[in-house]
Amino acid sequence: MTNMATILNSMRDPMGVPFYPWMFQALMVLTFALHIIFVNLVIGGASLAMYGHIKGKEEPKWKRLSATLARASTVNLSLAIVLGVAPLLFVQVIYDPFWYFSNVLSGWWAMGFLLFICIAFLALYVFYLKRGENIEGYGFFGAIALVMLALTAITISALSVQSLHPEKWDSWYLIGKHMNTAGTALHDLNIARLLHFIVPSFAITGIFLMLYSWYFEPRKDFDHEYLTWVGKTGAKLALYFTLLQIVVGVWWLLTIPKNLDFLTNPALLGGAAVGVVTLVILVGAQKNPQKQAIPVAFVAFLAVLAMSITREVLRMEYLGKFNYSIYTYKLNLDWGSTFLFFATFVMGLIVISYPIIIAFKLGRGTDVTGGE
Amino acid sequence: MYPLFEVPLVGGPILIALIAVFHILPCHLATGAFWITYFIERKAYNENRPDLLEFLKKYTLFILIFCFVTGSITGVGIWFASSVTAPRAISGLIHNYVWGWATEWVFFIIEIVTIYIYYYTFEKISPKAHMRIGLIYAMAAWTSMVIITGILAFMMTPGKWPVTGGFFDGFFNQTYWPQLLTRTALMFVIGGIFGLVVAPFVTNSSARETVTKTAAKWVVGGAVFTALFATWYFYRIPQSARELIISGYPYLKLMGFVAIGSLALVTLFALVWALPKPLSLNPIASIVMVIVLFAGIGGFESIREIVRRPYLIPDYMYSNQIIGHDMPAKGVKAESELINKEGFLKYAKFVPQGLREINEKNFMDAGRIISKYQCMSCHTFSPDGRLSIQKLLNSAGMSAPEDVADLLDSLGDYPYMPPFMGTEVEKRATAAYLAKLASPDAEVDPKWVVNGE
Repeated sequence: MTNMATILNSMRDPMGVPFYPWMFQALMVLTFALHIIFVNLVIGGASLAMYGHIKGKEEPKWKRLSATLARASTVNLSLAIVLGVAPLLFVQVIYDPFWYFSNVLSGWWAMGFLLFICIAFLALYVFYLKRGENIEGYGFFGAIALVMLALTAITISALSVQSLHPEKWDSWYLIGKHMNTAGTALHDLNIARLLHFIVPSFAITGIFLMLYSWYFEPRKDFDHEYLTWVGKTGAKLALYFTLLQIVVGVWWLLTIPKNLDFLTNPALLGGAAVGVVTLVILVGAQKNPQKQAIPVAFVAFLAVLAMSITREVLRMEYLGKFNYSIYTYKLNLDWGSTFLFFATFVMGLIVISYPIIIAFKLGRGTDVTGGE
Repeated sequence: MYPLFEVPLVGGPILIALIAVFHILPCHLATGAFWITYFIERKAYNENRPDLLEFLKKYTLFILIFCFVTGSITGVGIWFASSVTAPRAISGLIHNYVWGWATEWVFFIIEIVTIYIYYYTFEKISPKAHMRIGLIYAMAAWTSMVIITGILAFMMTPGKWPVTGGFFDGFFNQTYWPQLLTRTALMFVIGGIFGLVVAPFVTNSSARETVTKTAAKWVVGGAVFTALFATWYFYRIPQSARELIISGYPYLKLMGFVAIGSLALVTLFALVWALPKPLSLNPIASIVMVIVLFAGIGGFESIREIVRRPYLIPDYMYSNQIIGHDMPAKGVKAESELINKEGFLKYAKFVPQGLREINEKNFMDAGRIISKYQCMSCHTFSPDGRLSIQKLLNSAGMSAPEDVADLLDSLGDYPYMPPFMGTEVEKRATAAYLAKLASPDAEVDPKWVVNGE
């Protein structure tokens, strides 16, 4: 163990970090939460679009929902990718030894990861643009997108798990007198952990449908029976899959090594509590999902954020066994570039609020044509 | 050192290069296109020509799919490809420029939010607001280039950074402004060429004529300024790099001609076809021009990459990811001295058991491990591979381990090679392995390897 601890610390970048590690950690946790919400929306949205594609042959409502979700999935995937850039950047700053080791070891999978997303994205675009007015045909492309999204999820989850187990690295990389430089294998995967990221896709997409129903409610040109149905379907989905998520969560907990004493960890207990609050508020929201959409979305966001925090605490527990702590990372403070980022960040929020407000008003039916 | 990932036949650098060169097209299109759309949209409203909007819608959808699918994925792809083939180098860059990339990321967010809203609000909001959103996109996209160019320029000319370690000292270096202006002009060429791909699909012929001519003008104007700024850029890169391009390395000269030739061809295409006969323009011809431009950019970027050798981070980290120079400003000691004193196999972290001490039985395995760690970042180990070690040694007529050991001794004298790093025994073990690899009949005396006699 001590030997591994020395190795891990010496693998860190010798130039150190340009700001306090906790800041990168906080940004990583926050941006990961935002990223995973959109990942969930893509997986849930594309799956439901495919379900609607099949079910729509008998029920026109599903057909309509399928079209909406296919279109939303392309936008959500763009956002998922862009939001994923930030945690990907920050993990390389504070967990570089683990992240790079795992990627190098499964080099072709790390590259395949990109190919899978690319194919999924293009297939989703075909599924969205080519089905035409009648929303027919091209189901094959929807299916391809789902398979590729699943492969993407499996790959990134395995890369993360591999990075948590330095004790196994030698056995994966060194074989007799040789080094395994092929990069063709994935060495570790925790199914319960993977499912804990996939199952909430349907809960989050359900909440997205509740929001959809709430958002278009003021529009007179919308079919309100349809909107009510969308809201109720969303609320049901959200409830059932939150329940399932709790079951999967317990399963994942059972796979975590006992010596980490994670069951009594305050972060886990706090995260679980927010999960239960989400469940309770969802039960209450079943009657009138449209009205409850905003509070439900808010609590669900907190639940995702809590999960992101818990995940980070768990990583610290795993790596703490090797005496690895990000807080001891060498520091070479650079105030200038730190200021550059935060100033830009605030400016960015102000700038995007303008088009977002316009789009928001437009969608809700407020006149934004400037009277022309 | 991290483990190694071996890309057969072509080697790791080509993996990065393929993704990076492809990325240039969508990323420059994403940054340049919206200046053109802003210009056309203003024309549409000022001259009351709603027919022009058809082009804008088609062009924007094309950008959405091309830039925000393949562009953003290949952008992330450069990180992933670097992570698996040169993790220490990308780590070094990130540990210096993390806030630069994070700042660029803010602009990505602005881009993606504005382009979707721009696309979905055509003719649904006031023209003024719509154009303003387009302009925000254009400015954000270009600003992302302002940032990434600093990091790219740093990778060849690090300015005062090796002394001060300062973010902006490395960022604003001697090649920053010429490179930024070259890329800025180039983005108009790329934006224009893709405009010529989309323009023939506009149904209204008067609109088609207008947008084709407009796009062609951006190509020509952009190309003139690209040539001007690229010349300035060429004279700002270090003299040694310039000499390498002109006389040192025929491949680089060829790449230079490819870059210049493709820019000339694309300009000619716009001048003799798109401008005088806009209605007869064939989209397939435009696509061919995109491919021509792609080859030219490949030439330009490969020159930029090759003249960085023997470094991945200039005056700091060698191509094989070993830190070769002290960096006192950040408290980093060169690893090369320590490796030469204590041995590479002791210094590298992940080495098979029983190979850290070289003896008469294990020297071939040890030599193999060392050569993979130190050569594989540029060379391949298969006879038909790119920059194949076997081929290079055979063509130099080296079959005796002693000769190879002499070659390893003199590696540092080549302008583009890092020196061999390790103890004398390690050098002889590496030489023995490489000699056997190149000529399987080579005779190796284990005693010579271990004792030097």
